[in-house]
Amino acid sequence: MRLDEAKQILICEAKRLGLAEYEIFYMKESGCSAETLGDEISSFSSSEAGGLCFRCVCEGRIGSASSELLEEEALRELVGRARDNALCIEKDDPAIFYDGSAHYADVPPSTARALSSAEICDTALALQRATYAESDEVGEGTQSFVFSGGFETSLYNSHGLSLSHRVTYNGAGVQAVVRRGEEAEDAYEMGCVTEDTLSELPARAVRAAQSKLGAVEIPSGSYDVIFCPKRMREMLSVFCSVFSAKAARYGLSLLAGKEGQAIAAPCITLIDDPMREGALCTPFDGEGVATYRKSVIEQGVLKTLLYDLVHASLAGVAPTGNGQRGSYRQSVAIAPYSFYLEGGSDTLDELIGRVKDGIYITEMKGFHAGADSVTGDFSIESAGFRIRDGKLCEPIRSFTVAGNFFDLLKGVEALSDTVSFGTPTSFTTYGAPAALVRGMSVAGK
Amino acid sequence: MIKQSILEEVLGVAMRSGADFAELYAEDTRNNAVTFLDGRVDAISDGRISGAGIRAFMGTRTVYASTTDTTRAGLLACAAAVADAIGREKDRGSVRLSPTAVADRHAVRLLPCDVPTKRKTDLLRAACTAACAYDEAISQVQGTLADVDHTILVANSEGLCKTDRHIRSRIVVSAVASEGGENQSGFCGPGGGMGMEFFDTVDPAEVGVHAAKQAMVNLRAGYCPAGQMTVAIENGFGGVIFHEACGHSLEATQVGVGMSEMCGKLGQKIANEKVTAIDDGTIPHAWGSVNIDDEGNPTQRNVLIENGILKGYMIDRLGSRRMGMPMTGNSRRESYAFEPTSRMTNTFIDNGPDKNEDIIASIEYGLYAKEMGGGSVNPLTGAFNFSVREGYIVRNGVICEPVRGASLIGTGSRILQDIDMVGQNLATGQGVCGSSSGSVPTDVGQPLIRVSKITVGGR
Repeated sequence: MRLDEAKQILICEAKRLGLAEYEIFYMKESGCSAETLGDEISSFSSSEAGGLCFRCVCEGRIGSASSELLEEEALRELVGRARDNALCIEKDDPAIFYDGSAHYADVPPSTARALSSAEICDTALALQRATYAESDEVGEGTQSFVFSGGFETSLYNSHGLSLSHRVTYNGAGVQAVVRRGEEAEDAYEMGCVTEDTLSELPARAVRAAQSKLGAVEIPSGSYDVIFCPKRMREMLSVFCSVFSAKAARYGLSLLAGKEGQAIAAPCITLIDDPMREGALCTPFDGEGVATYRKSVIEQGVLKTLLYDLVHASLAGVAPTGNGQRGSYRQSVAIAPYSFYLEGGSDTLDELIGRVKDGIYITEMKGFHAGADSVTGDFSIESAGFRIRDGKLCEPIRSFTVAGNFFDLLKGVEALSDTVSFGTPTSFTTYGAPAALVRGMSVAGK
Repeated sequence: MIKQSILEEVLGVAMRSGADFAELYAEDTRNNAVTFLDGRVDAISDGRISGAGIRAFMGTRTVYASTTDTTRAGLLACAAAVADAIGREKDRGSVRLSPTAVADRHAVRLLPCDVPTKRKTDLLRAACTAACAYDEAISQVQGTLADVDHTILVANSEGLCKTDRHIRSRIVVSAVASEGGENQSGFCGPGGGMGMEFFDTVDPAEVGVHAAKQAMVNLRAGYCPAGQMTVAIENGFGGVIFHEACGHSLEATQVGVGMSEMCGKLGQKIANEKVTAIDDGTIPHAWGSVNIDDEGNPTQRNVLIENGILKGYMIDRLGSRRMGMPMTGNSRRESYAFEPTSRMTNTFIDNGPDKNEDIIASIEYGLYAKEMGGGSVNPLTGAFNFSVREGYIVRNGVICEPVRGASLIGTGSRILQDIDMVGQNLATGQGVCGSSSGSVPTDVGQPLIRVSKITVGGR
């Protein structure tokens, strides 16, 4: 069934049930991906999915229900379920559907084009060949993959809002497995499909895997630590919910009530930018609010939390356009766009040069269990390199690094000058430079 | 769900370009969850997942396509996409299905859809209220009561055609305790392959109190010291250690492509002789049980390790072709949008020879991990990590003060040898395991065990 037919059925049913205020969020996505193993495509997948979420106001509360089954009976049932759900909600938040922003910014043109099935397969095979060609140590288990896709979101409501936006994306990755003697290591590199990336990925992945061979364990103790850009941005992604006004409201973020206060070292400036070139950009959030670039932390001072309509209304501030919806299956959730720490003035070598005896951390695993955004505590399995007299030395592994995110923000001594961005999950992408923090607790042998 | 004639036509199209096997998986799933926050019903999520995935094989090459359009036209287009990607058009294959009934080992007494939301919110309120009332320092309680009603259909070119319906229910409470600008948290989340009768077996108030008590223990705890120690890991969710440290490395997903430290070790002694480990997808009403796996094969009880000797792997259809070994009923996926692969169901270390009190008494100085959080593993190297949700220092055989923020790291092959005492109070805990075929419910389990030496992350 087409969207406009589905819309008519929903609107009719809403009228029949006496629902005057309602909203329809629709999303359609499609994608293709190929994966190699050895010298052939081992798996090729494609997907087409579409569905919608219907929300309505009933007795002053908002209820919602979603479905991928767009048949008349299922759609009528959906409206009734949303209404019944509204009647069970107990929180007395204002029930707001948005009238629309005065202006929606122009989104920078997408740099990622949609790839054909043949291009996807050819690119994956080329990556795989290039990865094997990097070294004789590359072996079984090495995989390359390429994907491409796009999605379209549409938002309509009974206040006359009607918005839609389409994005395309692509990406490629290499997981290189290297073996030397009895030892095996792997490394994973990923990027957008551009000529530059494709020529760099295999070498980067193979070198990263090889550099881990022969890693030794280190004694427990307190060390000066540099988190590489990837791990620093991962840290940001794990603790990102502390910047949510909803988390703050319910005491689930220790940043509650700290707007306007210094919460980080003066070298920390944290930006949320929905319009960064190269990222997935959107002119409006999941509630229809126009998105815009803002400093969340400026030179250590917390300038704003991230707000959706409800929490902005409760706090008496303007919404920040961060009420996102990753899919029709999810409700509105506060989330950033391109969320990144601005770079400092040192090159990475200069940053490493500041450390006499310490650790450069390049891998951290198990954040989903070893970090708690409510407390800020983390204790994470890590690997990386020893730093001695300002130089990177032997690889090290099997240690944990422990600390607290809020202390870490305050403790950053310096940042490197180049910000590295990850691949997007929905509209959210994280970015960071490398960060030097003194005296982290490390558990090793 | 879909007419047999359409299924046969669709599989025929999927086979038309020379595939040696084709399969269709369709599902109609209702996910419901009530969320409680700050003493009130905060949100109700109510979603219907409906779609199909078609897969074709040519040797060990696979093509997968999924769609939410389950009309005849939608499925035929999806099958054509699969056929076009796997080979060149030849003769249209012909597929004849023989539908067979699936015996239900997990019959449900009270379907979640037959229970009004009000009854669910009452149960959740009882859990959250009990957590709040536990101590004045409990500053926030978040709870979710979720149920899944999942109907699947699997049909393949060998004639298999089965449908199955699976119901599961879970209640999760997290509590936050605050004092002096500091937060600590506690958690409890039991679940089962049952309908609403699950709540006849679990008291919501006890779930709430469990979470609150843990948050309070952590609030009063100092940081765990870092270093290598002897660690006793308690039963239930403690079994996550086997799940991460070894389970993933025994999945065909890894073993079939040479990406596991357990490759080629069948029949070898890989663990201490006190360790026997089992994956059993048949346990009635367990969280990780299903009647048939997502390729339509009945689940079974698979002995993975027996008295320290590696006995078997967990194998799906693709893994079976890659490894030349039979399938084990372990093929799973989060939804039609994912190509299935070998996954764990209910995986546990079996009871051993040691008395629990002897295990604690044997530790001069170490850590007692009363409750574990989640973890992860790199199956290639076996390097794993997991977090300790509630831990205590053991001194001279006695459990002493609580410590927080600990994590355990090591490698699978090493820790299996270092599990040198296995107790007798086997119990399971419920988790959600993430891998290439998405998130699936799995049980982990073990009795109290002792690991002679492991790195404890703390500060």
